[in-house]
Amino acid sequence: MKKVAVIDGIRTPFVKSWTLFDRLSAHQLGALCVNELLQRTDLDAATVDEVIFGCVGEPVDAANVARVISIYGGIPKDKPAYTVNRNCASSFESVTSAVEKIRLGLDQIVIAGGTESMSNAPFLFGKDMAVLLMKLAKAKTFFEKLSILFQIRFQHLKPISALQLALTDPTCGLNMGQTAEVLAKEFGISRMDQDAFALRSHQRAIAAREKLREEIVPVRIPPDYEIVVQDDNGPRENQSMETLAKLRPVFDRYTGTVTAGNSSQITDGACVLLLMDAEKAKSLGYKILGSIEHYAYVGLDPSRMGLGPVFAIEKVLRQSSLALKDMELVEINEAFAVQVLACLEALGSQEFAKRYFSSASNLGLINLDILNVNGGAIAIGHPVGTSGARLILTCLNEMKRRSLKRGLVSLCVGGGQGGAIILERE
Amino acid sequence: MMTKAWRMKEEGGIAILEFDQPDADVNVLNSQNLLELKHLLAEIGSRHDLKAIVITSAKDRIFIAGADIREIEKISSTTDALEKAEQGKVVLKMIEDLEIPTLAVINGACLGGGYELTLACKWRVASSSEKVKIGLPEVNLGVIPGFGGTQRLPRLIGPMKALSVILAGRVVSAQEALKLGMVDRLFPEKVLLKNSIQFTKEIVNRQLTRSKGRSSSWFLEKTPLGRFLVYRQAKKGILRLTKGFYPAPMKALEVIQKTYGREAVCGFRLESEAFAELAVTDISKNLIKLFLANEQYKKFPRTKTHVPPLEIKQCGVIGAGVMGGGIAQLVSDKGIPVRIKDIQPQALGSALKEARTIYDSALKKKKLKRQELDFKMGLISVGLTTQTLRRSQIIIEAVVEDMKVKEKVFGELSQITDRSTILASNTSSLSITRMAEVSRYPERVIGLHFFNPVHKMPLVEIIPTPHTSEEVLAKTIQFARSLGKTVIVVKDVRGFLVNRLLMPYMNEAAYLMEEGCSPATVDQVATDFGMPMGPLELLDFIGIDIAAKVAKILHEAYGERMKCASLMKTVQEKGLLGKKSKRGFYIYKGKKKKPNPDIMTVQKSGVCPSRNDILKRLIYIMINEATRCLEEKVVEESSAIDIAMIMGTGFPPFRGGLLRYADFVGAKNIVDDLKRFRDQQQTDRFSPAPYLLRLSEKHQTFYPI
Repeated sequence: MKKVAVIDGIRTPFVKSWTLFDRLSAHQLGALCVNELLQRTDLDAATVDEVIFGCVGEPVDAANVARVISIYGGIPKDKPAYTVNRNCASSFESVTSAVEKIRLGLDQIVIAGGTESMSNAPFLFGKDMAVLLMKLAKAKTFFEKLSILFQIRFQHLKPISALQLALTDPTCGLNMGQTAEVLAKEFGISRMDQDAFALRSHQRAIAAREKLREEIVPVRIPPDYEIVVQDDNGPRENQSMETLAKLRPVFDRYTGTVTAGNSSQITDGACVLLLMDAEKAKSLGYKILGSIEHYAYVGLDPSRMGLGPVFAIEKVLRQSSLALKDMELVEINEAFAVQVLACLEALGSQEFAKRYFSSASNLGLINLDILNVNGGAIAIGHPVGTSGARLILTCLNEMKRRSLKRGLVSLCVGGGQGGAIILERE
Repeated sequence: MMTKAWRMKEEGGIAILEFDQPDADVNVLNSQNLLELKHLLAEIGSRHDLKAIVITSAKDRIFIAGADIREIEKISSTTDALEKAEQGKVVLKMIEDLEIPTLAVINGACLGGGYELTLACKWRVASSSEKVKIGLPEVNLGVIPGFGGTQRLPRLIGPMKALSVILAGRVVSAQEALKLGMVDRLFPEKVLLKNSIQFTKEIVNRQLTRSKGRSSSWFLEKTPLGRFLVYRQAKKGILRLTKGFYPAPMKALEVIQKTYGREAVCGFRLESEAFAELAVTDISKNLIKLFLANEQYKKFPRTKTHVPPLEIKQCGVIGAGVMGGGIAQLVSDKGIPVRIKDIQPQALGSALKEARTIYDSALKKKKLKRQELDFKMGLISVGLTTQTLRRSQIIIEAVVEDMKVKEKVFGELSQITDRSTILASNTSSLSITRMAEVSRYPERVIGLHFFNPVHKMPLVEIIPTPHTSEEVLAKTIQFARSLGKTVIVVKDVRGFLVNRLLMPYMNEAAYLMEEGCSPATVDQVATDFGMPMGPLELLDFIGIDIAAKVAKILHEAYGERMKCASLMKTVQEKGLLGKKSKRGFYIYKGKKKKPNPDIMTVQKSGVCPSRNDILKRLIYIMINEATRCLEEKVVEESSAIDIAMIMGTGFPPFRGGLLRYADFVGAKNIVDDLKRFRDQQQTDRFSPAPYLLRLSEKHQTFYPI
């Protein structure tokens, strides 16, 4: 099978929803990245075989958002594009789809990434109201219309937030924060530990600001283009344990530990990667940033979706015959501080290994010094469809800086899944 | 026997008249083929077996492009003109009088006399393709429709819509024509004739009648008071647009106003008379000559060698100023990705804003869809490094007018691009040759000078250097034309053509002020002549500092005759920079302007020359410089100067251009006046150039008579 190379990647700054990118659509953010990727890699757009994007809340005005991005991003119209959705792992999925296509020789050059504008998640009407509106549209006479209008009750007008729906598990009915509370209780992880983890995320993101700029394309905000956004606006320079301690638990008011401060932020942003058949890349004279050989997805109980990385990491290590200690750098997406901490504990637990993997030994401990070294979603934000691609890009760039050979990126997935990818550099 | 222009075939009792002018790409109506049509119609009239007549064209993109412009140009007397109009009318009347259904099948451009012919038919159908362009653009040539257009169109679609079409010389798409009622049906291009014949059969069988389109306003169209208001409004509109310089739209309005709702015969006669009156005017002659010259400049091939079209995947722009932003907008508008590079992060934002403002106003006017705006804006990307420009097939430099900076830019670009990338400079005055000489592969360096505002000004000057290859020149011309611009090729002299002529004009205005004229007087004289803007207002618009910079370069290049009036320096020192600083010769407040009292204090006291002399000094100094340009072969012919002045500076088109105007005045008169000014002012800048003197001595003109 062909070897797959990641050549380069680029992302927009991650911006807290309803702030600077409020008026930019998911496809504009994505197209901006595609355009800039072409520019920076000096790639002829006509050589791109396919564009694949992950997106969870696809814009209602841009069905198959990847196609819209492809055209707006300057890829010729005869190139196909499709959108994938594996919830929070959507842009893992877009990347691994690209890997599969290139491996099989179906494609040689693919742009894969993710985009999400959580600012633009719509508000919906309930089914009752929708039925009435349809009837109204079909009504012919004035009196028919009037009689339908009279059937509308105040409760019908209550809007439903699509974002709220997206963050709630459709099968177990728990919202993502509530699944985090499940883990907090199961593993007995304290509020203090969670807050400390959150604080570290902010501190690391702030310290990494200069480094992160290398992967960020500055965005000028229309229509005046005066404001230039070149950094993520989530990380707080003055974040402290005291401030974090003041926050109230959101999902379990009295005994809960999960707060807005130790959870990932709701964010807008896009990220793309350029993937190529490694042979092709060499023939075109591209330097290879890294390669993707092994990856795995798993399913688990939706109410404990935060443990997804544990199961995914176990699977990918098993498949690759590698061990956790071989990983020189690790990114586990910080959906919630407690969820990452729970994963670390489960990975290090013999009991857990015995129970779930029928194995005598644990998977191993991850040194915090190599985990999420440039901060994570708690500080930077978690635009759900985009985070996967960002983890890959950030991790590869840091591996390059540190001249490392092997890295691991993983994330938990709403709905009860996990994904893990092993990144390699020569 | 000559080849016939009209062919007739029959299909199930339907006669199909096909217009196919022999040995020509286009169909135009001339005396000969109208006569031929007349005979054919007489024959048809005597046949009682025909059920319907379909008129169409055999040319691919053209139905009938209009009446033969060259015939109109040659008209020398009103009687001649009247006869021409009446001749056409007789033939069209024969079509109208046929009792069987008549149908025009419009497959392409259908303009002027061509559309008037279809108006004589009972029905009109068109293909829905983009090739179809329908309208009555006669007023643009200084005349009015002469084959009954002012009579039949108002009756067909109502006076309000008809006025909007005729007075502005509007040409509309098939879809718009359908909406206006100018055609009855649209059919797909591929099955146009088939569907048209089917449609004709329906008409024949079912006696289909046209549904009376609902009038847009009963009050405005059907009542005398309403119509009075419509006409008054139209008149105001015309005056606003033509400033009273172009009589044709007013004449058209007059004819429609006098004849709408009256008896047809008188109306037709009145139209012919108005047409005849206009057709012999200089204005019409000038506009026709200009039209023909413009057609030529749109197409003429520059090089004999065949050059494959330049495929542009990306255009690079260096310098995110007003020009850079404007160029980026223009290029992205044609669907080409653009990368703007500047060293100032803030400038990048303002270039995007520049482009966005233009798109926003198009959006507001509904000339652009929201999605198109997003797409086209998305094509413009910005950055601080030159590296990303490597992917461009053409890179246009629009940085500050400073040779050192330009040299640096061309040096840098030489590093990252290879032989195949065209490097163009948008400089308005600096030496392109020098820029070429600091570049690797100088044969690909060329001047490509746009005018501000880029999206509005139709001209570009293209400046090859002695090093420039024919291929690069041809490709650059192609590129500029693909952006919708009219191209003139100019030698690499300082100021090229337009600025070299315009600078003395603006400078002269400053001299006039020094002598004691008020800015308003000078500008008024120019606008009364037909210039879109007075020279001093123009200086404010350009920016007095920028103009002074150009003036200095020209002074260095051409010596004393281009010496900058000292007033310009004083004004600049006072911090009056023009519109951008809100104060220059005028004070600008929002959209209003008023004379700046501060200016008066820098004036020397003196006597302002007569208005006549002001005009002469402003215009003749340009004519004088233009003859130098001709002699130095800056451009190859007089028409290039006229096209450039009209397209690049808004020189009044009805005057035919700078040198047409010179011919109108006469070289001798110009020389005499120039000598008089030279003696009065004790300055050499009025000394007549040798070329002009020769014309004057030999009683010759710039254009052959």
